[in-house]
Amino acid sequence: MADSKTLLSKNVGESCLLLGNEAIARGAIEAGVKVVTTYPGTPSSEIADSLSRIAKEAGIYMEYSTNEIVAVEVAAGASLCGVRALSSMKHVGLNVASDALITLAYTGVRGGLVVVSADDPSCWSSQNEQDNRYYALLANLPCLEPSNSQEAKDWIVYAFDLSEKFELPVLFRTTTRVSHTLAPVELGVIRERSDHGKFVPEVKRFVMVPDFARVRHAVLIEKMKSIKELSEKSPLNKIVREGGKIGFVTSGASFNYTMEAIDILNIKASVLKIGLIHPFPEQLVKDFIKEFEEVFVVEELEPYIENAVRSSASALGLIRINGKSNGFLPRNGELSTSIVVKALAKSLGKPLPRNLVNEIPFEEIQKSLPPRPPILCPGCPHRASFYAMKKALKGAQINCTDIGCYALGVQAPLKIGDLLICMGASVGAACGMSKVQERPVVAIVGDSTFFHASIPGLINAVYNNHRIVLIVLDNYATAMTGFQPHPGTGFTGIGDQGKRVVIEEVAKGCGVELVEVVDPYDIKQTCDALKRAIEYLGPSVVVARQKCSLLAVQEKRRKGESVIPYRIIKDKCNNCLACIKVLGCPAIYLSNDMVMIDADTCTGCSVCAQVCPYKAIEISRINQNESV
Amino acid sequence: MRAYNIVIAGVGGQGVLLTAEILGNSALKEGYDVRVSEIHGMAQRGGSVVCDVRIGKRVYAPTTPDGMADVMLGLEPIETLRYLKFASPQTLIIMNTRSVKPVSVLMGVAKDLSLDDITRIINRYYDNAILIDAMELAMKAGSPIVQNIVMLGVLASTERLPININTLKESIKQLVSPKYFELNMKAFELGLKTGESYSSFRH
Repeated sequence: MADSKTLLSKNVGESCLLLGNEAIARGAIEAGVKVVTTYPGTPSSEIADSLSRIAKEAGIYMEYSTNEIVAVEVAAGASLCGVRALSSMKHVGLNVASDALITLAYTGVRGGLVVVSADDPSCWSSQNEQDNRYYALLANLPCLEPSNSQEAKDWIVYAFDLSEKFELPVLFRTTTRVSHTLAPVELGVIRERSDHGKFVPEVKRFVMVPDFARVRHAVLIEKMKSIKELSEKSPLNKIVREGGKIGFVTSGASFNYTMEAIDILNIKASVLKIGLIHPFPEQLVKDFIKEFEEVFVVEELEPYIENAVRSSASALGLIRINGKSNGFLPRNGELSTSIVVKALAKSLGKPLPRNLVNEIPFEEIQKSLPPRPPILCPGCPHRASFYAMKKALKGAQINCTDIGCYALGVQAPLKIGDLLICMGASVGAACGMSKVQERPVVAIVGDSTFFHASIPGLINAVYNNHRIVLIVLDNYATAMTGFQPHPGTGFTGIGDQGKRVVIEEVAKGCGVELVEVVDPYDIKQTCDALKRAIEYLGPSVVVARQKCSLLAVQEKRRKGESVIPYRIIKDKCNNCLACIKVLGCPAIYLSNDMVMIDADTCTGCSVCAQVCPYKAIEISRINQNESV
Repeated sequence: MRAYNIVIAGVGGQGVLLTAEILGNSALKEGYDVRVSEIHGMAQRGGSVVCDVRIGKRVYAPTTPDGMADVMLGLEPIETLRYLKFASPQTLIIMNTRSVKPVSVLMGVAKDLSLDDITRIINRYYDNAILIDAMELAMKAGSPIVQNIVMLGVLASTERLPININTLKESIKQLVSPKYFELNMKAFELGLKTGESYSSFRH
């Protein structure tokens, strides 16, 4: 993780190793950004997280907004007053923000406004792998796509200048392999900009009633025509290698795989890299491809560049274009150098290099390995809540789960999770299920997800009287993405004490009549509350509140308090393995066929002690050597 | 010069990312271009973790092409096997023999693979393998948490690494908290010393 000193360094030309996301943060500082908003989501989180750490020092206002559309609106508000603002989110976050963004393209902005979308090809940490370059087409906004950290930093500055020059929001699209790769970055000059602005009304521009909106749409189209001309000559779109009889058109992470694949296969070729991907530099591409009989388009996910290249080529006669539509590359999953090498070798009839020929039966070896998916941590309060749900409701219910660590509950042995769509979808979907079938329906959301997208669903359940149980797993953090604060924590993005929004009060305010708050580590209390909720004839809410165990342990260590683990009482344990098979806590393991608790990883949550049918688990004494 | 590729495999919490960052920072200090790939988020949380460090005059991609790892640094035996596709028979494999059992094995839903099975597979296909009990050395240094630094020390000793030992030490100092610097240095030195006894890999 880059330290604050590096991100704020005034040593122009200094070289440091930055994640793509940190490079974007540094770029924002160099561009004089004064307002930063976000809703955290992998692979975008480090952009705003690194800015949150240095916000005060850099004179930046930074906030974790309740969700992505609010984030974009807050940034837009500042930009409309002339202050440079950046809003970052993961790809699916842009779905949430799109309503604001698409009309902001009509009104335009004043201070530069850049919206960063970090896409996730291969769904490393996401529920889908949508290609957000299409938002640039849909909103008709300029879109930049860097291929490494240096470009990420430099091009953010370019994006702000572009945004301000044409008074349009600019989309900045990265992917996991750009956002989460450490690479050298040469630092540039930090430009000073004011953090103070002024709103000058311009009703026909900013009030998008139909009459004005029609006019502004035409204005947008004209602006984009000018940017297209700029795109044809932009230094972001350039031929990086010349020669040979084949041409490559590529961008972003795919550019890197292309360059390596060409070198590995020793191909003579020309490469055109597109950095300003919308509006597309048609003439530049046309001039480039007309020299070749065969063109390869290397890009991840959808045939975005390919379609544009085909359209550029339509007037040029016969050029063979390889992309998604002829099966040269797959339309799903991220690419890699190996994938591009194999596809090229096949297409060009070249032999594969020796290293890529499987001499070793990897697949067979892989199949023999026990899987190691991500799991709930030792002492995770969600595990306790899920156990209580299974015990109290006996599997009669349908579990609509949601986005967060608790999605990991779908794995054995807890297996809690019948549906997962997007932030907040559990609540709405539960309402629908409750109307058309008999099984009780439970919606499971985390604390941050509750504030992000669950409240409209909850109000819907109250208003239309849906018999659902909403379980809010409140662990005092947006845990999955790195413990960012949210309205329920009462702390702001820059660590100041703000006003805490209390989940149960919100639920009551929405009109929910049965609202219970429990400690999930108290299994009996949690089970009793769940039983009452499931029997209730209207919508009910159970808040299971207990600090994320990672945070709790961290805090204890910081305060110098010891974490007292539990232990097995050997005389009482009859090795029934209930603790292991029911909870799946990584702190409990088998050694020589005997159940043991790892004192280093046990967080002392006590749940296993409550589960053990033989009362064979107890809290360790201070000096373990003295115990039995 | 083609990129020099190090693939580091392990389990979330073992310090895969820190090890990679130390190598990456050291490479930058020595004037190389470098890429370090990391996957965050869902892929952490006690799951399987792999990280690439690619060093060269000009490096493009963050990940190592299949079969092109120069070194495979396995912090855990099962995870070493999981990413073998990045290795070729010529790859130097440095593997910690201490396993971290997956929960799937603890619960009895997946079959375990013994260390004997794992070594048999590695010895069958790979010419250069160094097996290290990094836990034992880490305990000697003072804590199980520095197994990764022990392994880094072993890697540094092989002289296959295009990075100076002192540069690595500097990066360790820079990247670990001062409170644990001594512990990490001890672990690194123990790794170095142990690695030096595998003289067949020095060239």
